[in-house]
Amino acid sequence: MFQNRAEGLALVLPGVLFAALVFLLPVGILLSEGFRTSEGWTLTPYYEFFASERNRAVFLRTLKLGALVTAVAAVIGYATAYSIVTLPATARGRMIGLVILPLMISPVARTYAWIVILGRTGIVNRALTFLGLSDEPVRFLFTETAVFIGLLQLFLPLMIVSLTSALENMPKDAVPAARVLGANWFQVFWKVILPLTREGLVIGGTLVFTGSLTAFITPAILGGSKVLMLETLLYQRVTVANDFASASIIAMILMVMSFSANLLLKRLATARRRR
Amino acid sequence: MIKTILTTGVALALCSGAAQAADKKLVISVYGFSQDAFKEIVYTPFEAMCGCDLVVETGNSVERLAKLEARKDDPEIDMAVMSTHDALAASRKGITQSIDTSKLTNYDKLYEIAKDPLGDHLGIGYTFYATSIVYRSDKVSIDSWQDLFKPELKGRVAFPNVTTNQGPPSLYMLGKAMGNDAADLAAPIGEIASHKDDIVTFYVRSSQVAQLMQQEEILAAPVGRFAWGAYTKMDMPIKWATPKEGQTGGMNVMIMTKGAKNEDLAYQFMDFWLSTDIQTKLAEALVDSPANAEVKVDAKIAANLTYGEDTVKSLNLLPPAVILDNREKWLEEWNAQVAQ
Repeated sequence: MFQNRAEGLALVLPGVLFAALVFLLPVGILLSEGFRTSEGWTLTPYYEFFASERNRAVFLRTLKLGALVTAVAAVIGYATAYSIVTLPATARGRMIGLVILPLMISPVARTYAWIVILGRTGIVNRALTFLGLSDEPVRFLFTETAVFIGLLQLFLPLMIVSLTSALENMPKDAVPAARVLGANWFQVFWKVILPLTREGLVIGGTLVFTGSLTAFITPAILGGSKVLMLETLLYQRVTVANDFASASIIAMILMVMSFSANLLLKRLATARRRR
Repeated sequence: MIKTILTTGVALALCSGAAQAADKKLVISVYGFSQDAFKEIVYTPFEAMCGCDLVVETGNSVERLAKLEARKDDPEIDMAVMSTHDALAASRKGITQSIDTSKLTNYDKLYEIAKDPLGDHLGIGYTFYATSIVYRSDKVSIDSWQDLFKPELKGRVAFPNVTTNQGPPSLYMLGKAMGNDAADLAAPIGEIASHKDDIVTFYVRSSQVAQLMQQEEILAAPVGRFAWGAYTKMDMPIKWATPKEGQTGGMNVMIMTKGAKNEDLAYQFMDFWLSTDIQTKLAEALVDSPANAEVKVDAKIAANLTYGEDTVKSLNLLPPAVILDNREKWLEEWNAQVAQ
């Protein structure tokens, strides 16, 4: 694009310097804390972290909820996105607007709303007892179910939007053609839609998974100290124990989890393409 | 561009320099709650009286303690208020100095327990609170700390997390009710662990309990008296338990940093805060229960506070040294048994 390579470099320099100075350097310092002990550089703090049964439980719970939220968001996301792209242009715009609307409401407000909805006297429990599905109110709050519902609601729009734009870029005739040639709906999805929209799925999946890992307010309010996730554990280590060493270990684990998820999803997408 | 930034920076530096030079300055470090009331009742009148600037830093105790420690050799904060055990931690770290009580004209008016809770006058109590159990009197009755595990409270009770200020004292009272008040709290932590599925949540903020009560999610929970105001406003029959083992609680103290740059102003401020007039106003605004025994408030206000000689005498407070020396062990025990 530039005649002169130096010109391009000069333009990118301020941005790079800024990012290096206020992002990369501090992150590097913070993360190196976890590898440093009084005896020098070591991996011991990480072994110690995973030696604790509670820490392992928190790690596995975070991984499990993140994966579950991403998987369910993908299923609901495909169904919703597919029905959106089949709409006429005006209706499609309105539907996308509705999907994005929750993103404009503070996650704190949305999460508090769940406390009211999922409470003993909330609408869900009233419906359950009214329909005779349960004799007494079911406890949702401060359970993994509550955190799952909260996270799914929080990040589902990101999945829907990613998949909608992926489906919009898919050739319009692909699905009808597959149907004409005798493919059932499962085959249509697996052999046509999925391969053609995998980029959208990778983006949506990464956003939802990373978001679920790093969400703080939702697990803090809906899970509390009985359903600790890595993010709430990190906060607890800093505010209760002033323990920045453990906190930086958790931050590192969260970063590695996010990167791994992205790599894994990309790998899955390209693996299918090669076949 | 760079020139503009530099000019702005210099201008800003000049402005703040000018503001600092204008007057005497006192820097205090306090809890973040009720700051509007404190400003009106304490800060603004004090500034008018001393002709000085009051710089108020707020935050939770861990943050504030960390900050004090970081600036130990060149303290920017002159005085701070903390819980007794945090104040003891600060003094063990060499951040604080003994307070010369002869410089406090209101010192003799304080309740005995507030006069020297840490020893060596390392802290002066300015308020305390009772901790007991709030409960729905139409659904359950509470006469003992062990009543938290009554069958009718299964799945309807919240308990403070061990990391909160209410946690250890509540565990201590539970142990007492079980006939085991050892400082290791092993018995009550074991008891909580065996009932953990019956406990809705281990709360970390008192305001959360009020919300759960309001939503009828829970019917009982141990809370600090400072949170009582929220329950009196609810349209529900909610009572404050007086368990047969007694109530527990906590105390907050004022501390003076070692090498404080504005020691005289800090003494003046402490004395002002402890005066009958200010302590009465803080009590009437339901901000802090008075540590000054001369404070008189009417029965309606008193009912919302931890007030009066008899109440003060009935408090089973955990000694700060016990909290400080056992805190890590309690947390370990709790994490191993309860927080899985």
